[in-house]
Amino acid sequence: MREVVLVLAFVGAALLGYKLISEVPSLIHTPLMSGMNALSGITVVGALTATGLALATGSKLAGFAAIVLAMINVVGGFLVTHRMLRMFKSERRRNS
Amino acid sequence: MLSPFLVVQILCIGLFIYGIRLMNSPETAVTGNLVGAVGMAGAIIMTMVEAQVLTMGVVWAGLLVGTALGVWLSAAVKMIQMPQMVALFNGFGGAASFLVATLTLLEGGLTPFTLFTSALAIVVGGVTFSGSLVAAGKLHGVLHQRPVHLKGHNSYLFVSAAIMVLSTLGLVFQVGSVVLHALLLLVFSHVFGYVFTIRVGGADMPITISLLNSFSGVAGSVAGFALPNGALLVVVGSIVGASGLILTQIMCRAMNRHLMDILLGKTTMQPGAKPAPQAPQAEQPKQEAAKPQGPSWEERLRSAKKVAIIPGYGMALAQAQLQVKQLGELLESRGAEVRFGIHPVAGRMPGHMNVLLAEVDVPYEKLCELDDINAFLEGADVAIIVGANDVVNPAAIELPDTPIYGMPIIRADLAEQVLVCNYDTKPGYAGVDNSLYNLEKVHMLLGDAKDSLAQLLEIVKGEAEPVPAAPSAPEAAPAKDPAALLKSAQRVVIVPGYGMALAQAQGQVKMLVELLQSAGKQVEIAVHPVAGRMPGHMNVLMAEVDIPYELLLEMDQINHQFPEVDVVVVVGANDVINPAANTHEGTPIYGMPVLNVVEAKSVIIYNLDRSPGYAGVENTLYDMDHCVFVPGDAAASLQALVQALKIAG
Repeated sequence: MREVVLVLAFVGAALLGYKLISEVPSLIHTPLMSGMNALSGITVVGALTATGLALATGSKLAGFAAIVLAMINVVGGFLVTHRMLRMFKSERRRNS
Repeated sequence: MLSPFLVVQILCIGLFIYGIRLMNSPETAVTGNLVGAVGMAGAIIMTMVEAQVLTMGVVWAGLLVGTALGVWLSAAVKMIQMPQMVALFNGFGGAASFLVATLTLLEGGLTPFTLFTSALAIVVGGVTFSGSLVAAGKLHGVLHQRPVHLKGHNSYLFVSAAIMVLSTLGLVFQVGSVVLHALLLLVFSHVFGYVFTIRVGGADMPITISLLNSFSGVAGSVAGFALPNGALLVVVGSIVGASGLILTQIMCRAMNRHLMDILLGKTTMQPGAKPAPQAPQAEQPKQEAAKPQGPSWEERLRSAKKVAIIPGYGMALAQAQLQVKQLGELLESRGAEVRFGIHPVAGRMPGHMNVLLAEVDVPYEKLCELDDINAFLEGADVAIIVGANDVVNPAAIELPDTPIYGMPIIRADLAEQVLVCNYDTKPGYAGVDNSLYNLEKVHMLLGDAKDSLAQLLEIVKGEAEPVPAAPSAPEAAPAKDPAALLKSAQRVVIVPGYGMALAQAQGQVKMLVELLQSAGKQVEIAVHPVAGRMPGHMNVLMAEVDIPYELLLEMDQINHQFPEVDVVVVVGANDVINPAANTHEGTPIYGMPVLNVVEAKSVIIYNLDRSPGYAGVENTLYDMDHCVFVPGDAAASLQALVQALKIAG
């Protein structure tokens, strides 16, 4: 049951994502990609859970590495996206 | 039924979706990004509470180290480095996912379905990680940009794929040790990722990065199936996967490539896929007709009312964004309407040019997509191309046999006057000569784009007399008609190479030799020791068509005489005449003995294309002023040359 729900969620999210992202103008496709880097950092959630369950030292180390990598994506991704998006200025905003 | 954690999860997903929704306009995108960040913070805090890790030191250490590195990276990266940054982040996403999936596998207690998804997560994550590191390395210049083909390339891919399938089956049906299977999956997913990206060339990077972007999401998504709170991973990873997929599709369409071609390693540089060779005479009518009728290009630029600027990767390389912007503003201050035409694949990743121009404060209303700029170009006075090539090549609509045929292009050729600020006239990554360069209304400003743009700025300001363009500009060069050069020559040396053998042009070489001899000229053939595929290869071929062996000179005999030679005719030879061997320390051919044809008064080269020879070193001779380069099939080109000489009498 749980697995069916998850598969449906996967398909539904893919379709919704496809629709939403088709509407993003190609003007900001690079920030879109780095934004998606940030979202792919959602793996940090899995890393936190797996590390919490880990008992062996090796597993804890692997969990630590996963948290670090995912967190780089989250923080770096959002910040770099912000940096880029703020550079896109409209004429109005520039003149004011 | 509805746990508070589930409610928070749904809220977070809602925030992500709303955030992406706001990305549909540059006005609201900044807010959208912040909304996404809030959702992510919520998801992390909720998970820490739910997984009861709030007191675990290792968790906090990981969060802090990751945050610090993320802050540092995002602040340190330059805009020009953004492609490799995105590639690196793709890789981190993949790595985090395969680590999580490995941990859940080793934890045990999985169902066949979740065993399968975890195996899949390791595979996709591993491929993404190693593939992205290769892509980032290529983009950063740590690795060579050229496609690398290993011996038995596809068998590596096939064998690693087969092992991964077997290990996955072993996991699902619980045959053999879990640790062993996990290890095999980890190792061979990395092998697969490396082998698959190492043969992708620099020009196909926009597609590769988009695809890896998609993979990084998919890896996270499938890793989520086996986790107790995996819904967030499944949903968000799936959205990321869809996003990367859309970008991949857009890139493929814009480059006229099929995804499978890239995956199978069919590179853009395919010999034999070249356009029909241009007859050498084509240059002649062009030069005569080049007498400007009506205003000169400088006047047209000064008085232009509608100007389109088309940037490409060359602008990024020359770091000429600021000059581009200044030129745009200067023209606007003179009453012109200025638009920037951004081709979807200009640069190294989707939206690359937009980022660079935004960085120098070009308002985004002026950045036009393909359809808009093409509508604008109809009736535009001037189109200025800055470091763009394939994306403005009319061959894409005119020449059905070329690899880029059917690719959507920016129609710079529609403007009244076209100014090209490119480094040289070499074909772009598609390897197709740009037919735009031959149009009468095109003026070329070759050399560093920064300098060319500075020159245009001066011209518009009217402070300087229009000076002839960079030294290698066509009109600054001496007469470049091969037939005319040969007619006035006294001493001619022909240099054959393996390309002559490939084109089976020996017969034409012989005709040329006899024609020149009958006109009373001294003709010799210079043979480099390694020309061809075996020692003495060229000698055999020349002998076969009855060229007397007295005419065949060895390198040592002829090399000191080149300064006295009027014209050297190169037929399908490359590395053996490359002056870089004497001048460019550090290149693989440095120190190799070459024929010093560079010292002759003129050099005419009949090679298939300008791509480097086997040594992979650009031939510096091609761009020299006393050199004429005739691309295409050597047999056809020489035939045309012989005809032209006969007509000229």
